[in-house]
Amino acid sequence: MTSRPELHQQYDLIRSLQPALHVPQNWNYENTHPQFQALMHPPHDVGGQPDVPVYYEEKEEEQWELNTYVTCEVLGWRGAWTAEERRRRADNDLGYTLYLGMPYYGRWIWSAAKMLVDKKHISLSELVEKIAEVRSRYESK
Amino acid sequence: MKASKPLKTSEAPARFKVGDRVRVKNMPNMFYTRTQNYVRGAIGTIAVCTYKDLIPEEEAFNYDGRIEQYYIIRFRQKDLWEEYPFDNDTLQTESPEHWLEPA
Repeated sequence: MTSRPELHQQYDLIRSLQPALHVPQNWNYENTHPQFQALMHPPHDVGGQPDVPVYYEEKEEEQWELNTYVTCEVLGWRGAWTAEERRRRADNDLGYTLYLGMPYYGRWIWSAAKMLVDKKHISLSELVEKIAEVRSRYESK
Repeated sequence: MKASKPLKTSEAPARFKVGDRVRVKNMPNMFYTRTQNYVRGAIGTIAVCTYKDLIPEEEAFNYDGRIEQYYIIRFRQKDLWEEYPFDNDTLQTESPEHWLEPA
């Protein structure tokens, strides 16, 4: 079982992931049209928007990132999705919190898993059980 | 899963040619597009007629839909951002035909 302090720490972190909107949002009964337009704006269309200062660094690709890239390309060759669908899922559909919170290839592998479940190539329970199995195999090493 | 399909094409003639002035339509944002918000309503010039392909709004949902001519459109930076300091700088972006109208 997850320890209670660990669980509370998770909940505190989840709370802090709320996008930093300046107006509190909680299933608003009404929105103005500009608010509606802002909500409908696809997150991947970032041109012209102000941004926080970001520190850029040179970083080699890690093995899991290369594996993710190849997996997603192979899924394309096999006709599971197109590059455009991958962009829609990985750059847009996951919403601001995940878009900003995850590493670049984290978004790719998240969207590949979601696509395979959405299209019934694999069931979610099958996927979750497999990940749990692999995790326990690693932990027992 | 099916193997990837060959590239799409269409016999429909291109509506615009290089040098034509076009305005980007201001259509609603809904789920997905590759036409940036900041060029909506702006007037630019066709720089290149690129290729014909599925449109992003349909291909992104795995919808085997219409094929359109794509264009590279050139805008003056000052037409996009009033406060932009240099008169001669331009910005190019690409859009399929249904986003464009004659200006």
